[in-house]
Amino acid sequence: MSKGKLHGYCVYFIIAMFGAIGTVWSQAPPSFDANYEPPRTPSGQPDLQGVWSNAILTPFERPEEFGDQAFLTEEQANAYQEQRRQQTFRGDRTVDVETDVSHAYNDFWWDWGTELARTRRTSLIIDPPDGRLPALTPQAQRRREARIARRAEHPADGPEDRLLRERCIIWDGNNDSGGGPPMMPSAYNNNFQIVQTEDYVLLLKEMVHETRVVPLDGRPHLHDSVRQWLGSSRGRWEGDTLVIETKNFTDKTYYQGASEHMQLTERFTRVADDVLLYEFTVNDPQAFMRPWTAQIPTVKLDGMIYEFACHETNRGMVGLLSGARAEEAAAREAAGN
Amino acid sequence: MRTIILVLAAQIALLIAAPLGAHHSFLAEFDPDQPIQLRGTLTKIELINPHSWFHIDVVGSNGEVESWAIEAGTPNTLFRKGINKNTLPVGIEIIVDGYRAKNGTNTASGRDITFPDGRQLYLEGSAPPAPE
Repeated sequence: MSKGKLHGYCVYFIIAMFGAIGTVWSQAPPSFDANYEPPRTPSGQPDLQGVWSNAILTPFERPEEFGDQAFLTEEQANAYQEQRRQQTFRGDRTVDVETDVSHAYNDFWWDWGTELARTRRTSLIIDPPDGRLPALTPQAQRRREARIARRAEHPADGPEDRLLRERCIIWDGNNDSGGGPPMMPSAYNNNFQIVQTEDYVLLLKEMVHETRVVPLDGRPHLHDSVRQWLGSSRGRWEGDTLVIETKNFTDKTYYQGASEHMQLTERFTRVADDVLLYEFTVNDPQAFMRPWTAQIPTVKLDGMIYEFACHETNRGMVGLLSGARAEEAAAREAAGN
Repeated sequence: MRTIILVLAAQIALLIAAPLGAHHSFLAEFDPDQPIQLRGTLTKIELINPHSWFHIDVVGSNGEVESWAIEAGTPNTLFRKGINKNTLPVGIEIIVDGYRAKNGTNTASGRDITFPDGRQLYLEGSAPPAPE
């Protein structure tokens, strides 16, 4: 190779390198201002009060197609966000009929949020680094299989066979994802309100009116024998971050497969006037092969929280139980013919 | 770029196929084999939890009036989108596309609600923008 040719290759290489660095630079994920000073309450605590929304299009787990990519590029994020808006919010009926019934309503009735987190993360889960739930332990897997088998065998004998949210007890999800805390978004009512005093923090989640009164005075947790739907929560300040530890869950909530021994650590940090960063870590060696952490940048909602008096007129429960009886009657009639 | 879009399309297909998180299971309550379209006069709106209900009177093929109850979304979402009893007055005519209840009563899910002039109860989500 001639010296001139080599020199030419070097120039191309340097230009290519700068180009690559420049591309990475321009696609660096947005971050929050580390020097942000939150407003404070009269007692000097960071003021987290107000109504916050955790509606977000970012998926809980990183889609496998994104591989080891923790952040989307701006171009990918725009495309992904637009696709999800178009495909999930337009009432698309080019799906099989069962999926259409699962949708049940068009987007007028839903409120999933309209944007990905501007951090451009590919998942709400930030640890493990692959953005996916750790494997269940064998015993947690057995519990899950037993729940699913029980549900298949007794889908709607009575109200207690149904999901906790259908019974208006707490919010839980489909696919055996169980109920919180933590405070996860869903199809609508993705809002929660925080009220502070010097010694307490009060959390009200709009969906299924889940309320927690969290002491900050260092008192111990409830006795282990006292188990509660929402657990026993105790809070403290770590710098400007509110940390809430929750335990004493029941075996009826199984968040993502967790056991009643789940220890939940939630962290609330106001990182901008309109952003409250919500992070939570699930630590449950009886259920997960390792602890895991998720992050939702929640957004200040310019509006009030509304009552969700779920028991008020829960006709859905009557409809689905009577639907099950009608199906059984039809099956008996078919068998008799 | 084409690959990215294909990948995204595949993910979205999966997302759509997954059951969505409403208050209760629609498949348990409504019958996929009974899609239904009803045209009738709005007689009552119940903005109640966990789901709102629209009641309409429908004139059947035999000329008799049948009363139907249409399940709709949570009142909180409707309020935030500017819908209340004044914006949907009793006496207007609406068209409902949905699925009939499995229990055989005059009950249906209200997937799409359309006014005679073609306007639909159908808007973008109302959540605030995601943060930095």
